[in-house]
Amino acid sequence: MTVLKLVSVSAGYGETQVLWNIDLEVEKGCIVALLGANGAGKTTTLKTVCGLLPATQGRLYYNGVDITGRPVHETVNLGITLVPEGRQLFGKMTVEENLIIGSFLKRAKEHRARNLAWVYELFPPLGIRRNQIAETLSGGEQQMVAIGRGLMQNPDLIMFDEPSLGLAPLLVQEMFRVIGELHRRGLTVFLVEQNVHHSLKIADYGYVIENGRIVHQGEGKQLAADPTIRQAYLGI
Amino acid sequence: MLLLPQALVDGLLIGGIYITIAIGFSLAYGVMHIIDFAVGEWIMLGAFLGLYLSQWTQVEPLLLLPVVFVVFAVLGYLFQPVIHRVLSGKKGNPLLMALVFTFGLAIAFKGLGLTVFGFFSRSIPSAMAADSFTFVRGDFFVTIPVIRLIGLAYAIAVTLALSWILKRTDFGLAVQALAQNKEAAGLMGISAKRTNSWVYGIYVGISAMSGVLIGCMFSISAQMGGKYTVFSFFVVVLAGMGFLAGVPWAAFLLGMVQSFFLIYFDPGYTLLAVFIILYAVLLISPKGLFGKGV
Repeated sequence: MTVLKLVSVSAGYGETQVLWNIDLEVEKGCIVALLGANGAGKTTTLKTVCGLLPATQGRLYYNGVDITGRPVHETVNLGITLVPEGRQLFGKMTVEENLIIGSFLKRAKEHRARNLAWVYELFPPLGIRRNQIAETLSGGEQQMVAIGRGLMQNPDLIMFDEPSLGLAPLLVQEMFRVIGELHRRGLTVFLVEQNVHHSLKIADYGYVIENGRIVHQGEGKQLAADPTIRQAYLGI
Repeated sequence: MLLLPQALVDGLLIGGIYITIAIGFSLAYGVMHIIDFAVGEWIMLGAFLGLYLSQWTQVEPLLLLPVVFVVFAVLGYLFQPVIHRVLSGKKGNPLLMALVFTFGLAIAFKGLGLTVFGFFSRSIPSAMAADSFTFVRGDFFVTIPVIRLIGLAYAIAVTLALSWILKRTDFGLAVQALAQNKEAAGLMGISAKRTNSWVYGIYVGISAMSGVLIGCMFSISAQMGGKYTVFSFFVVVLAGMGFLAGVPWAAFLLGMVQSFFLIYFDPGYTLLAVFIILYAVLLISPKGLFGKGV
């Protein structure tokens, strides 16, 4: 079953068009990766999906329902969660407050206690630092809060925007381990990454975006073996 | 020296009034980033509603505070979308537009007040207005008018209630989230439009309630707004724009300055002293007393 479907979607900022007729599908229970260089349109794609940015053309479907033009506070209530680039925490609040805010959605409120316990189990350091002010955490811990906050929303589809950005190699591995764990729990994952190597290892399917257009797509292993992709993104 | 206790007590009491007119304003600025020049006019309108309601129902005006709050909270809630439109405009400088818009609003409210309520000053007759406590110990003595004490208690109650809401309720966390990071708040499903409407409603409600209280202590008139807007602005700037926890301290500081000037120096220079303090603080710490403003 297709959870997310983009049909010929274009979007941009003001006069500048960034996305050109993007066609893309995310199957239920899969990890789908959207790969590409800086400025290719990865973040713009995610923002358009969750309604932070309006599509100027094309349609977006979520579980078969047309969600084109819906504002962000409505799409999240459908179960679409974005863990944004640069974490975007509420820096002056505590770890736990950040997590609680994630559970304000109607769909998540009743599961607050359960999800909170799960997040602390998934990220033990957060349990220890639950009363610490978020902006005083290390980069890796902040990323954990961002992911935890997303999980508190009780999502069906969770989208990550560069979760490995700025993290030490060990923490990058940790992030990918967690994403794999979420996948095993049945979540559908839409992953945007510059770290092509790690992403293709866990992704069921991948899209490669260049200058706002999808230029390659295929199963994760198949893309990883593709000579042009190996040359362009893996440096092999 | 004999007047020192009185000066201190007066400072606290005046500070209480400053809190009542500035706390809502600070909240609205902190969340919506709007400088509402109409704050004094909301106070004026609230005062007149209190006056007419108490005349009509013959009920003690202080007991009507909740009614005034609800009426104006609803008004503010319904009115906020208009401000939201101005603030989220695509052309020009929306913040500047909002400034001009609220300035125009203030003038319109004042004109409305002059037409409907007339030119003359009134006061709201409260049964509490005449009484006062007097404490004497040796040569020292302090007189506290009951109504002023109620004002201080009201200020403290509103401050505590607001901080409780902000810290302990889901709604309060949503408000804080919105103030800190609008885009991330949207990702959490928090509707900026709706939350801002509530915040604006609360702010207008608190300001209007304060108007009733002020009307029980001083005179009210259709033109009273400007003065209170200026003082509200003073307190909020001194506290740090949008830094709610700074408001009581800034209010008490200004209250003390004013009361000491009234008692020990020339009352005519009180405002000048307040201005100079504000200027000096901003010179040293542009983000307010605590450096935590915007």
